[in-house]
Amino acid sequence: MTAFLQVEGLQKYFPIGKNFLGRPTQVVKAVEDVSFATERGKTLGIVGESGCGKSTTARLLMDLSPPDQGRITIDGQAYGKGAGRKPITALRKRMQMVFQDSYASLNARLTIEESIAFGPKINGASDREASTKARDLLDRVGLDPDNFIRRYPHELSGGQRQRVNIARALAIDPEIVILDEAVSALDKSVQAQVLNLLADLKAEFDLTYLFISHDLNVVQYVSDDVIVMYLGQVVESGPAQAMYSTPAHPYTAALLSALPALHPKDRKTRAPLEGDPPNPISPPSGCRFHPRCPFAEPMCAETVPPLADIGGGRHVACHMRVPGSGYPEVRPIVTVAPSPTA
Amino acid sequence: MDNIVEVRDLCVTFKTSEGSVYAVSNVNLDLAEGKTLALLGESGSGKSVTMKSLMRLHPPHKTQITGSIHVAGRDVLALGNRELSDLRGKDIAMVFQEPMLAFDPVFKVGDQIAEVVMRHEGCSYEAGRDRALEMMECVHIPSPRKRLDAYPHEMSGGMRQRAMIALALACRPTVLLADEPTTALDATVQIQVLLLLRELQREFGMSMIFVTHDVGVAIEVADEIAVMYGGRIVEQGPVDQVMTDPWHPYTQGLLGATVYPNMDPATRLVSIPGAPPQLYRQITECAFAPRCPHATDECHQPLPPPTQTDQRMARCIRLPEVAGALPRASVLPQ
Repeated sequence: MTAFLQVEGLQKYFPIGKNFLGRPTQVVKAVEDVSFATERGKTLGIVGESGCGKSTTARLLMDLSPPDQGRITIDGQAYGKGAGRKPITALRKRMQMVFQDSYASLNARLTIEESIAFGPKINGASDREASTKARDLLDRVGLDPDNFIRRYPHELSGGQRQRVNIARALAIDPEIVILDEAVSALDKSVQAQVLNLLADLKAEFDLTYLFISHDLNVVQYVSDDVIVMYLGQVVESGPAQAMYSTPAHPYTAALLSALPALHPKDRKTRAPLEGDPPNPISPPSGCRFHPRCPFAEPMCAETVPPLADIGGGRHVACHMRVPGSGYPEVRPIVTVAPSPTA
Repeated sequence: MDNIVEVRDLCVTFKTSEGSVYAVSNVNLDLAEGKTLALLGESGSGKSVTMKSLMRLHPPHKTQITGSIHVAGRDVLALGNRELSDLRGKDIAMVFQEPMLAFDPVFKVGDQIAEVVMRHEGCSYEAGRDRALEMMECVHIPSPRKRLDAYPHEMSGGMRQRAMIALALACRPTVLLADEPTTALDATVQIQVLLLLRELQREFGMSMIFVTHDVGVAIEVADEIAVMYGGRIVEQGPVDQVMTDPWHPYTQGLLGATVYPNMDPATRLVSIPGAPPQLYRQITECAFAPRCPHATDECHQPLPPPTQTDQRMARCIRLPEVAGALPRASVLPQ
């Protein structure tokens, strides 16, 4: 049985610097052996700090940069280069993307209508059909078509532009929408409007979301399942509520306890982690998290922990969770008390 | 005088090619010694403009500042250029959001810190470097002696931010202004820097003004909070009171729009319809009225004086009625 969207062994190394033969001298291991799956109608959240490879993963899925390795299937149909795979253009009809920078992702010389109608026209719709589609979608994302359809991107506010980007992503009736930090640049009051809109659209068009964000609270709020990435690798995956209440990987636990307090009496007294995330050009050996991990043992620097099944649909890449891994003791999963809401 | 910072009726207007921008209107602020005030607001609300006025960092020929600003007993708006340079970095210092832009990329970090000390205390280069080392240790930069000779690009984001804090605190200022100092940082690094600022504030007995758009960050560091909207302070008070019992409809909306941990995915967020105002005209009425669920005709009249109690202030004409409306209870129409 395969899931609706299945991604296996996705990998991307970016070469940096070349020697006199034109061979790369160093590589950034941006995404390494990333696999995940999600069912139709669900939201999969991807969290992690900057440089963890979450945005690169999204770009690899859309083939905006071609993956070195990996297999992407939707409903069992594989896409990409290779025998038995449909071309990427076919994948893009089923999967669309909304980016963080609402201004840079719209063509400044096209009106809102032209931007939204572009996709349908390329895919064979007549001018009239495409125009009707653009008006319908603008209305659906909460912008008055008569007022907005002839405007240019610079005439819109950030929140309005992001609504246009969402409308454009939906214009060719995709089944999957990748939201790459789509609400991160918006002010809180506008962010709430867009999150509500995304929830409505998902129900109405039976969409599947890949929701990429660094904001853990927002990811928990929108996601059914979550994967946590660190330096190009998945360190933990599983149902959102279980992961947030009992994080299995020390990094997930640290991310959650690094969230600012909601009441002055709950102020943090110490930071869960020291230092910055390391440079992905020369990531640490073994478990990439081991230099910052409070539980690290010598073996963590030597052996790469596999992404092990810990039951309940959860997977974690940590020696400490795997009996027989050689880690001195298998520790119980730490329970984080739910923070009191303000 | 108890207050280290006193701002009265501050108005800041920028002259642009498209006309005047009324960025800040009638702002009053008091900051007691050793306390932290958070200026909370969305982009364009005037929080950074207010803060930069305290050091007069705006381009003089394009900016009109009225009102009065007193920092450590000195009338900032009356100072000449020379006195202003004496003030900046000595009595009052600033930490910015993007340390890469605040440091000069072609000088070593240690030398840049030493330069400030030499300028203000008239000491030798060696004494300046010694102070720089001491400051690098204060902000917990690993292997500080080695890092003195590092260039800004050789440091990671979190370390650069620590170095900028070291730079700002090198002359032991009485007031530290922090303009979104953790916004560009990763979550696990953000909390380290917030804790560091709190620790240093205690150690040096500084007062701090902290600009942020993040409610959680404000709660972590502040004693007092001032919420800004459309260039005005709409609500002000002790952080625990404002956050648990917001009076102004905008504060209520802002808290309702924030996603909290463990929120039920089925609950809809309280969204504030519309967008923040353009400040191309002087807004004398309530700037929030067009988006406010409680607005009536009287809200479009010029604003009355703010409602003031011992500890708290809010600027809303309908205050007695709306103050009890908690964020979750007031689900606004879409």
